[in-house]
Amino acid sequence: MEALVEIRDVHKVYRRDQFDVPVLNGLTLAVPKGDFLALMGPSGSGKTTLLNLIAGIDRPTRGSIVVEGREISRFSESALASWRARHIGFIFQMYNLIPVLNAFENVELPLLLTNLNKKQRREHVETALSIVALADRMRHYPRQLSGGQEQRVAIARAIVTDPTILVADEPTGDLDAKNAEETLELLHRLNTEFEKTIVMVTHDPKAASRAKHALHLEKGQLAEGSYGYEEQAAGA
Amino acid sequence: MKYFKLIRRNLFRNPLRAVLTLALIAFIFFFVSTLLSILQLFDRFEDQGQGANRLVVQSSISLANALPYAHEQKLREIPGVEDVCKMQWIGAYYKDKKNFFANFAVDHDRMGSVFDDYKIDPQQMKDFQNDRQGCIVGPDLMKRFGWKIGDRITLKRQIFPYDPELTIRGVYHHPVNTAALYYHMDYHQLLMNNFGQVNTFWIKIKDPSKMAAISQQIDAMFKNSEYPTETVTEKQFQASFMAMMGNIKLLFGSICTCAVFMVILLAAITMSMSARERVTEIAVLKAIGFERPLVMTLMLTEFALLTLLGGALGVFGAKLLYMIVPMGQITQGFLVGFTIFPATMLIALAASGLVGLIAGGLPAINATRMSVVDGLRRVV
Repeated sequence: MEALVEIRDVHKVYRRDQFDVPVLNGLTLAVPKGDFLALMGPSGSGKTTLLNLIAGIDRPTRGSIVVEGREISRFSESALASWRARHIGFIFQMYNLIPVLNAFENVELPLLLTNLNKKQRREHVETALSIVALADRMRHYPRQLSGGQEQRVAIARAIVTDPTILVADEPTGDLDAKNAEETLELLHRLNTEFEKTIVMVTHDPKAASRAKHALHLEKGQLAEGSYGYEEQAAGA
Repeated sequence: MKYFKLIRRNLFRNPLRAVLTLALIAFIFFFVSTLLSILQLFDRFEDQGQGANRLVVQSSISLANALPYAHEQKLREIPGVEDVCKMQWIGAYYKDKKNFFANFAVDHDRMGSVFDDYKIDPQQMKDFQNDRQGCIVGPDLMKRFGWKIGDRITLKRQIFPYDPELTIRGVYHHPVNTAALYYHMDYHQLLMNNFGQVNTFWIKIKDPSKMAAISQQIDAMFKNSEYPTETVTEKQFQASFMAMMGNIKLLFGSICTCAVFMVILLAAITMSMSARERVTEIAVLKAIGFERPLVMTLMLTEFALLTLLGGALGVFGAKLLYMIVPMGQITQGFLVGFTIFPATMLIALAASGLVGLIAGGLPAINATRMSVVDGLRRVV
């Protein structure tokens, strides 16, 4: 299977005051195109750091991260921002919508960075909101939406630019069971129907079970019994 | 422009704070534009003699010391002198001491020639000249006391031992001096028992380039007389009046600087709070591809707009207020013709925008400098 993301011997060390805190220790991983990968593990295992590295909002201390054949860890800050705008859709645990903008305007935000005109932007936003079944709430502000609806708006914002990868950090962490299920169903649909590659961090085994694959991290490495795809394929 | 909605919404995201900040900035710029306009009014007063080809001859001892009439003939004989007009500061008031204004006795037959920048209807000038108790008045003074041509008025003495009883014969027009009164020197001298002294001679010079030389010549001529003179240009003469007010310009300028500095600090506190509240949002914007310079531009535009809006409210509020409130009357003629001048408006508006950029600079830099991961840390 063609690898969309290749992580090779990645180390990440954070400096906290005078201490070096290693978070990832020589991690190697490949994520195929069209995959829905769940990253699991205890707190401090490095799963969020790994997600941030894949999303290009953090840089490895050592090692390389290649996405679609491009070594993103060598990009300048500006180039990386531009790359994220085109290739990454973010879904956060706390939704992180802009409270002063309504649903339509929140979803439109990433499109402001493109050359699309107002009419084209409107079409894209309406399509994205239709996919998450919130076309009728586009003029609602975040405070006027339920948690589940906010997360769906956030998902619409993540997909509106048709990115290469969706990264989701505990997307159901702040939702009740019903809304969590709806969100997972939506992610599943985006993966199967729209062929989006999704990398999701979760603590919830139930959420992880909706992914195609799940990897466990422990102390910055893949845990025993957790395999990369080559191994999984070989074992199959 | 496509980002304007985001800027506008952020501007009023906390309505109470925005309104209070706007009110504070508006109040300070109301105050600053008022002080700056007073300074500009003083400058205009000083500049009213700029370019005029007139010299003022006064006693070298002090302006309060008089010069004899005999000086006039000697001044006329100096080559390059076109005309001479005697003028005496009277210092009277109308009805009540609070109704103080500038009033002078002047050579009625020389005034039109020496002060040719004062415009008056020829018939009114003729009426003034033909009536020894006649006077001409500036339009703002006419308006202030509700006078009409033909009104008989009596001024109250302060310096000289008589109450001038006058008839208004005309209204003069001048771009700056709009609130003075002039009556006959003959009438003054008559009531002063032909005193024969005056505190200034105003000299019109044929060739302005020779003003300095003539000025020196005059003072040299009277140097060893009983009444030595000090001859200055009209601009210098007006400036010396301003000097009598002490260093009011420095004082007002300092107050303006302090006020602007204060508003920068207060705005910086507000903007720091605003930026700190939005750390996560800024991180989200950067995560989805907004580059740091763009985010910073959006924030600075928002901050500058806030202070500019506050500044505009203050400046235009002041402009409107002084259109309605008769400042000349309230200040007993001190601020006649007072308004917020266009130059002051521009300076104050530019300063208010700059306040936003300066005050918001550091909070914007700090907020946008934070890494995306640190900004999202609370939620990611």
